[in-house]
Amino acid sequence: MEQALELIKLLWPLILLQFILTIAALIAWYRTEETKGEKWVWLLIILFANTIGPILFFIIGRRDR
Amino acid sequence: MSVFVTIFKKECLESWRQFSWFWVPIVFILLAIMDPLTTYYMPTLLDAVGGLPEGTIFEMPDVTAAEAMMMSLSQMSMFGVLIIILLTMGTIAGERKSGVAELILVKPVNHSLYITAKWLAKLILFLSAFFIAMLFSWYYINLLFGTITFTDWFYMMIFYSLWIGFVISLTIFYNTFSNKPGLVAAKTVGTLVIMSLFNSILFHRLLWFPNNLSAHIGQMLNEGSLSQDLWATAIILVLLNGLLLLFSFATFRKSTH
Repeated sequence: MEQALELIKLLWPLILLQFILTIAALIAWYRTEETKGEKWVWLLIILFANTIGPILFFIIGRRDR
Repeated sequence: MSVFVTIFKKECLESWRQFSWFWVPIVFILLAIMDPLTTYYMPTLLDAVGGLPEGTIFEMPDVTAAEAMMMSLSQMSMFGVLIIILLTMGTIAGERKSGVAELILVKPVNHSLYITAKWLAKLILFLSAFFIAMLFSWYYINLLFGTITFTDWFYMMIFYSLWIGFVISLTIFYNTFSNKPGLVAAKTVGTLVIMSLFNSILFHRLLWFPNNLSAHIGQMLNEGSLSQDLWATAIILVLLNGLLLLFSFATFRKSTH
């Protein structure tokens, strides 16, 4: 437990950035009307595929216009 | 000139709408600091994960500040470049596919201005993200591994920006005669892979080949002095950038008539 705390203390910048990225992707997801494929699947991808999920959503998930 | 400003603004608005101004810097920061941080904390990480038999002794190779900096840079040249290509692949090809390009080019818009505006918009987006990311990485490396002077860092940024510019120019060049974004990305990645294969075969013969830029930058960080090879490679990259843009103007004009 103590070690886990130590680890969080060391790696918090990475965790924080990942958190911000996920939140940004969630906001983008909420505001996007049409996605490629089912919208709810993208929600799962953003939430559960760490880091790579939000990036994938930003690059290929959104359908423009 | 006002046409140039209009297209440039349109590009910026588009990357704003796609949240690119927000997420690209974050992803670049993650890429840049991930490797130095995990390398530094590897012993703690192994400790926390556990599973090692009692009394195991690890000899961690000592990583110098310059090596850590190069870790950031190599992440950027892998995944950073991939993101740049994926976000640039549709800049003209996508507009052609959806018909927006025809709408714009039916007006008396200079074709070279159209391309240059797009090129500049992409360049500013990715270079700002790159600068922010490497600032973070510089901060951590100075904290954890040792000093890299601001001058060295600054030179590294300037020289590496040329490579980022080259990737953007190459992607835009392939954009000018295609209307399939996926194909553009494939061609660009293919070209970069062939270049790096070519370079690994002939490394010692062609010291000024663009792909050697990172190696020269690494040498500069190690020795703290700018080598002639670095300058020569940089000049070749600038020329290549210019040439690719000129080729883009020509092929774009041809393919829209």
